[in-house]
Amino acid sequence: MTIEALNLAIMLGAALVVSSVLSSVIAFRFGAPLLLIFLLLGLVFGEDGLGIPFDDTSFAYAVGSVAIAIILFDSGFTTRWRSLALAAGPAGMLATVGVLITAGMIALFGAMLLDLDWLSALLLGAIVSSTDAAAVFFLLRVGGITLRDRVRSTLEVESGSNDPMAIFLTLSLASMATLGGIESHGGLWQMLVVEFLRQMGFGLVGGLAGGWLLVQGLNRIRLDPGLYPIVALAAAVLLATVVNALGGSGFLAIYIAGVIAGNSRVHAAGSLGRFQEGMTWLAQITMFLTLGLLATPTQFISLAPAGLALALLLIFVARPLAVWICLLPFGFSRKETLFIGWVGLRGAVSILLALVPVLSGLESGRLLFNLAFIVVFVSLVVQGWTLRPVARRLGLVVPPAIGPLDRSELELPGAPGDYELLTYRVADDCPVAQGERIPRWARPSLIVREGKSLLPERAGRPQAGDYVYIFAAHSRVALMDRLFAARAEGDLEQEAAFYGDFALEPDAPLTTVALLYGLEVPADVGDATVAGYLSKAVHGRPETGDRVRLGAVELIVRAVDEEGHIADVGLAVDPAPERRVVIPYNRRELAQVTTDLKARLARRRRGKAAAAPGGVHDLPDAPDFGRGDHDADVSDKKGPADV
Amino acid sequence: MNGILTPDSVLPSLHVTSKKQALHELAKRASVITGLGERAIFDTLVERERLGSTGVGRGVAIPHGKLASLDRVYGVFARLTRPIDFDAVDEHPVDLMFLLLAPEGAGADHLKALARVSRLLRDDGMLDRLRGCETADALFSLLNEQEASSHAA
Repeated sequence: MTIEALNLAIMLGAALVVSSVLSSVIAFRFGAPLLLIFLLLGLVFGEDGLGIPFDDTSFAYAVGSVAIAIILFDSGFTTRWRSLALAAGPAGMLATVGVLITAGMIALFGAMLLDLDWLSALLLGAIVSSTDAAAVFFLLRVGGITLRDRVRSTLEVESGSNDPMAIFLTLSLASMATLGGIESHGGLWQMLVVEFLRQMGFGLVGGLAGGWLLVQGLNRIRLDPGLYPIVALAAAVLLATVVNALGGSGFLAIYIAGVIAGNSRVHAAGSLGRFQEGMTWLAQITMFLTLGLLATPTQFISLAPAGLALALLLIFVARPLAVWICLLPFGFSRKETLFIGWVGLRGAVSILLALVPVLSGLESGRLLFNLAFIVVFVSLVVQGWTLRPVARRLGLVVPPAIGPLDRSELELPGAPGDYELLTYRVADDCPVAQGERIPRWARPSLIVREGKSLLPERAGRPQAGDYVYIFAAHSRVALMDRLFAARAEGDLEQEAAFYGDFALEPDAPLTTVALLYGLEVPADVGDATVAGYLSKAVHGRPETGDRVRLGAVELIVRAVDEEGHIADVGLAVDPAPERRVVIPYNRRELAQVTTDLKARLARRRRGKAAAAPGGVHDLPDAPDFGRGDHDADVSDKKGPADV
Repeated sequence: MNGILTPDSVLPSLHVTSKKQALHELAKRASVITGLGERAIFDTLVERERLGSTGVGRGVAIPHGKLASLDRVYGVFARLTRPIDFDAVDEHPVDLMFLLLAPEGAGADHLKALARVSRLLRDDGMLDRLRGCETADALFSLLNEQEASSHAA
């Protein structure tokens, strides 16, 4: 390339990034999935659009791999231990069994719809089997949506940890395909399992060790402050590639290293976080643009019907079914399971993995790439666009306790780790501006009013519009937010639906409450308080929004304090009627359905015994099992005794 | 609120300065309507407040309780001339109060009435109109008309 041509290429690249970032303004306004915009821009500038010729698959793959590594590192870095502990079980299931079920079903559909050979079909399934972390969290964050902790953590941990699984599956299948088809591999499954254990084992160990080394290094070596984030990210990418070279899953390693680094007390954690946030954006923009440029939309036309069908099957059948099966052993409610099933956005990883068959020189390579591209596109449009309304509809959005808040944190050189300097802009109708007393630990060190900095003694009470600087312990931040934030402008209807009509003191005796509202309580409650009863009745650690039915009302956990104790309780006097369990969604409902089924069978046996004494075992029992209809009354009427 | 409220159970401009005084005044009016002792009603309300404030937020309180010798569910609606501190969940002072008294043993009816009142007073438009009303008659018909139309809807 000549210097002029190089300059032109750089100019084009920069212009693409700038227009992507600017177009995010549009995305924010319309709630459109931002990644969709980047992808569209790539398509528009690509060979079928404005005509940038770009066909370098290996370059695109290299760019994409680095981008995924960066995104995974940041995704681990921002995942808290608490979320991980809360969601390890369900997210782990979804990331392993869930991915396998999804991949298997898509392979089946692909083989039927497109007459693909088995290996290609399996490859297709593996390619689109993982969900996109960035897409999900961007959408939730932009909407200012606070999801219930357990749901949020599960989605977060799932989307980070299922990428290594999908990558592993795709790469193994592709190498198998190049080695010459399924037939030549008698021990296919055996080989897959061994390979899986090796890759994930190496990835796990490498990630743990690498994360530890990274933290030690950052805390011990003195560098120019600007270099910390760079060396951290570079070291993480280095770790991923080294683990890859040693035969482990580098992507798992970098995710785990991110988790370790993000949850350790690490030097310059603030600037690390900010730098990575920026780099994650750049990684996503670059990847989607590149992949958009690489695609040739004219090839999509003939594939559109099949691609669309596959995408819809993925969204409406494969993902919900996989989620349902995976979450059955856990305590999720029906609505939570439905929502997690809906949030199955496919994104960057899928398109990147779609390059693997092309790079491996498979005959079906281009076809698989185009199909995956359509699936991702449809998923971003359908699921991305409807995410927020669906969350609202299902009542999983926690109504905001406080209104908008203008806060920034400053890093303090030499300060102990649990203190920080916070800056608030005093909101018009916040408690402080309304005259509420400021506790001693929230006294400002500096007040900036109309551009002038004043000492607090001179400034008097903080007024609306002031900037106050407070040096405070980390644990007080949430309390302080409440003092300086605007009042929540929630929807009364939505709040009442979520928190119940009335408040109850957590230590009110349950029997007194039951007496007042005419509720039946279990005989063994004794002198339990409402909070005590609730903590026992919810499965595991109580969480804001947990509900427990008591007679005709529902008790609701309104707030939980730092130690995990129930701090506020709500009472809904008019809850939605209890649903009959037809399809079980969790352990409790599964037990209930099994009990129902057993009771029904026992009744049937008795009925048969009465109708045909001695002949019980000759009658076929099986046909009624799979009907999925657990209505005891109906089956009694249809029972053989009446025939 | 047909059947719960009567025109003389609406207090359009009650002047009180504390939560206790407000409950007293409502108990006094309830006593006139139901024929029950004012003291007994007041004690019932205070007992309920001990389980948690009935200030539900946005300046609304729905004090309630059960009394043995009532024949049906009774309501008293009061608009305060000056908002008072009620320990409400959102710490907003309260200026609209709806008192509900139910007979002992009226489990479902009590809950149903509470649900109706709670639903009525969580409509922002309704709250604005209640605060803007001039007379007791206007308040009374607003409370009843709203109920009728939301039933039709």
